[in-house]
Amino acid sequence: MNFAIPTPGIRRRSITGLWLRHAVAFVRYWKFVITWVLIEPVVALVAVGFGIGKLVTEVEGAESYAEFVTPGLIMGSAMFHALFETSWNAYNRIDNDVYETALTTPITVLEVTLGDILWAITRALMTTIGVAIVAVIFGWIDGWLAIGILIPAVMMGALFGAMGFLFSAVAPHTTFLTLVFTLVATPLYFFSGAFFPISILPEWVQPIAWAMPLTPGVHIARGFALGNLDITHLWAAIYVVALTALMWPAAVYLLRRRLIK
Amino acid sequence: MGRGDVTEESNPNAAAASPRNPIIQVEGIRKLYGGIAAVDGITFSVQPGETYGLLGPNGAGKTTTMRMLSGLAPVDSGTISVAGIDVVKDSRAVREVMGVVTQHDGLDGGLTVFQNLILYGFLAGLSRKHAKNRTHEVLEFFGLRDRSKSNVYELSGGMKRRLAIARSMMISPRVIVMDEPSTGLDPQSRNRVWEELAVLKEAGVTVLLSTHYMEEATVLCDRLSILDNGKILDEGTPDQMIERHAPKEVAQLRVLPASLRIVREYLTQREITFREVGALVSVTGLNGDRPDLSGLNDVDGVRTSYRAGNLEDVFLAITGRELRD
Repeated sequence: MNFAIPTPGIRRRSITGLWLRHAVAFVRYWKFVITWVLIEPVVALVAVGFGIGKLVTEVEGAESYAEFVTPGLIMGSAMFHALFETSWNAYNRIDNDVYETALTTPITVLEVTLGDILWAITRALMTTIGVAIVAVIFGWIDGWLAIGILIPAVMMGALFGAMGFLFSAVAPHTTFLTLVFTLVATPLYFFSGAFFPISILPEWVQPIAWAMPLTPGVHIARGFALGNLDITHLWAAIYVVALTALMWPAAVYLLRRRLIK
Repeated sequence: MGRGDVTEESNPNAAAASPRNPIIQVEGIRKLYGGIAAVDGITFSVQPGETYGLLGPNGAGKTTTMRMLSGLAPVDSGTISVAGIDVVKDSRAVREVMGVVTQHDGLDGGLTVFQNLILYGFLAGLSRKHAKNRTHEVLEFFGLRDRSKSNVYELSGGMKRRLAIARSMMISPRVIVMDEPSTGLDPQSRNRVWEELAVLKEAGVTVLLSTHYMEEATVLCDRLSILDNGKILDEGTPDQMIERHAPKEVAQLRVLPASLRIVREYLTQREITFREVGALVSVTGLNGDRPDLSGLNDVDGVRTSYRAGNLEDVFLAITGRELRD
């Protein structure tokens, strides 16, 4: 590995600067982005909660299907936002030389990933908080423990924020980024226990579903939402941290290879 | 546009600089891409206050050299020092004091003109207040103040380029490296950029620029290197280079297609060296003396004019190829 830019410590200003950049750009276009942060997931929540909720009368551990599905949908939305930020948006920043410009200031690629992942976490939190408030109004989330959902939201933001770079850093063109959704987001969304308990899947599929990186997020969020935390939620958290610890350095390596050459 | 005062050797900034202490010192840098040397052992130095040019065609290694100076490309071997800082060892420290204008403007389309500058200033290390004040100053200087709230994509190509240069000025650098400052600009915008670079020079800023426009090199540079295939072929002031390699005078024949064959035969028979660039036939043949073209006076569709030798001729003489291909 060729460390073109040595990283003697991390410079906080780089991360703050990038985070502020994203926040400013977000605020400038908030009318458009808010539709995705709030309206889209709420539409899904209402449709699934009221619609499918009517058909499903029994689901393990929850009083209603809406209560069961809410933390899953929230984590799904957190995943989409974090992934999108560091795949599509980051790709555009690569393509439009926004990172290159930043790198002509005393900033390192490692700090670029940290600033962007921090913003991915912020987006994951925004959608989590927004949708959770709506769910509280509907009575599908209650109890103070549910605030704990913010913890898996941060975890999913970091994990999928790092993962998105694995695509943007190697993408030759935007069409390549379609893979983020076809290979990652969509399968995870439907097979991570968001919509139904993994236990009802065929037995041979279950380990695969458990290994998927969104699954532990959904599991932890549901633990907080339904107030039934146990040791399995700790394992899930450790699994997420371990995955993030693998993906983030890979993201730094790939992005450095892309930008410093 | 003729050669302005900026290229005179008697330039006060260049004269005041001590030749012993170059602000940019590049020694034997090399860079391989897939086994092919993009930059193949380049050495040069730039004095404080000087404007130094790397002149060469596309693919000569100019951009790679500029990227190595700003730490965007790791060097394979060789050393670079800028303002006493070892770029190879500590590129972060260099980027605190050196302005960089990359080949593509690299403006942030998600932000306004003002926000582009203030963000850059902040990332470069200015306090938020200082960055804000400096943004106002820089916008004023580059005549972009009434554009400060514009989206970047609303700007013309010339304005974008000037904004990119303005951005590099946010940290009030002593040294700026600029990769092809006026490539892709219309002549009017180009002149505007040149004017602004002349003002920077007057303010004592050292500029290293790359270009494949011989006019740009002639107008802006105190000294320059001719770069081809990753190597420096010669170095000097524009005047020295022209004196060394170019004929004093070049005859240019504007020839209608019907008469082209006659002209070719005439020149070939008299062993006069010439080259054809589009509809122009340039006769560079005789050393210092005007070639005898009197026999072409009666040929229909031939118009003859004479111009002084320029850097384009220098490049041709050294490499045997046109600067622009």
